[in-house]
Amino acid sequence: MEVLVSLKIVPDDQDIQTTADGKLDFSIAKPVISSYDQNAIEAAAQIEGANVSAITVGPASINDTKQRKNILARGPKQLFMVADDTFQDADANVTAKAIVAGAQKAGNFDLIVFGAGSADTYAQQVGIQVGELLGWPVVNGVSKITAGEGSITVERTTETEVQTIDVPLPAVVAVTSDIVEPRIPSMRDILKAGKLPVTEWTAADLGSDTTKAIDIIETVAPAPADRKREVFDASVDGDIDKFAAALAEALR
Amino acid sequence: MKAWVIAQNEKAARELAAGVRTLADQVQLVALTDAAAVTGVADEVLKVAVPAGAMVESSVDTIAALVDAQSPEMIVAEPTAAIKVVIGRLAARRGTAVVTDAVKINADGTAEVMYFGGVGHRTVKPAATPAIYTASAATFGDAPAATGTDTVTEVAWVEPASALTVKSTEQLPKADVDLTAAKRIVGVGRGIAAEEDLQMVRDLCGKMGAELGCSRPVAEAEGWLPREAYIGVSGVVTNPDVYLALGISGQMQHMVGVSNAKTIFAINKDKTAPIFNQADYGLVGDIYDVVPKLAEKLQ
Repeated sequence: MEVLVSLKIVPDDQDIQTTADGKLDFSIAKPVISSYDQNAIEAAAQIEGANVSAITVGPASINDTKQRKNILARGPKQLFMVADDTFQDADANVTAKAIVAGAQKAGNFDLIVFGAGSADTYAQQVGIQVGELLGWPVVNGVSKITAGEGSITVERTTETEVQTIDVPLPAVVAVTSDIVEPRIPSMRDILKAGKLPVTEWTAADLGSDTTKAIDIIETVAPAPADRKREVFDASVDGDIDKFAAALAEALR
Repeated sequence: MKAWVIAQNEKAARELAAGVRTLADQVQLVALTDAAAVTGVADEVLKVAVPAGAMVESSVDTIAALVDAQSPEMIVAEPTAAIKVVIGRLAARRGTAVVTDAVKINADGTAEVMYFGGVGHRTVKPAATPAIYTASAATFGDAPAATGTDTVTEVAWVEPASALTVKSTEQLPKADVDLTAAKRIVGVGRGIAAEEDLQMVRDLCGKMGAELGCSRPVAEAEGWLPREAYIGVSGVVTNPDVYLALGISGQMQHMVGVSNAKTIFAINKDKTAPIFNQADYGLVGDIYDVVPKLAEKLQ
């Protein structure tokens, strides 16, 4: 089964800082695989009989050597890298159109796998739009995938139930954030990854429509929460008592 | 302006209809189930009768035809898994994209959303109509109770070219805890090393009259607590009077789930943990040492 897993590379949000004028500063936030997409890559790699490729679309900054190896150390045998500033903060429609173009250029896939939602916008929409644009069935909330003959059987978790659905291929699935724990690549995996093929495409190579569907007007850092910030230290005599007293008072 | 609500549950139908009424003078409630076909909250209920055995998701063609017939300028949808598929497919057909989990929606079409789970706030605006959003009751704050007529119009079902069907279902066990209603909550994070260690925390919860919640790794990677206990941007958002965080670093994706708490307490052995900047009272210390002592003092 030819499987394409689509992932997003985003700045590491633990290193996003706030500027004096309340804006966000990404200068030390290195590119990382969006957290829930790690689970998707692992889920794709574990499908029985799957030959996995990966695709990622984003601004030029996502074309990072460490992340290329990180992706290829987790199961995919090749990576299609579309790193073009045209895709900075691309909305779901622009991204989906690019992935459709990339998937069609890359080969004939039976299944395209998406994660539960990206770390930055968590829109959970790109996979659904890709399915519609391709005219393929799409299932979100997929918590288990079993390979079949020209089909897959999935367990799909909604708010109230787990559904079992037979899905004819080709199809698109978006998996849950807890479908499977991602592997921790070994040094050997990472070294091998350095030898796997990466194909780089620009927005022009894809030729997809990049007209924005959503305009971004402003991004700001929220005002810091108005909290007391009284910090005690357990190693200081009496501090645990003070903390306990404050807690007891709040519980009154 | 004509605006739609799309819902499959009664509560969301009422809440979103009330909210949308503050933005639009004409409100239609597109109900995808009998339960959502609530009268008296919108100018008209457009009832989509999904055939027996069909999935709600297979209503895309019906909804697309209805959009062409009714031309709503704005659509505010309940964020269920099924509706996300319906509006996502609709958005793809119309060359637009859904603004998801809007924190606020304005009559001019602009909306506020979270960026990186709350690290930033963004103001966005869909370029085309209908402008499509998902939202919850919280999006509209204190909207006056919804008003409307008894008019219910049956929508003609458009049979899709192909559709998936559900082979079998298993009901998820009802959560035995509802953190959204809890007034006192203790949250545990990676600072807890093993599942057995939760016992001392449960003891403390007992003394505090608190429910037990957690950050994502404890619910998902470790599976020590159920999904309903996971507090955070893709889990539960809570409104407690008291929140005590044990061994939680304070990442925004979790803190967004407790930012409404009246008083926040935190214990962490790392004095540089971001949580100390977001708490009212912090204690730098080892939870294995402090938690039993706290439980004793709260006797």
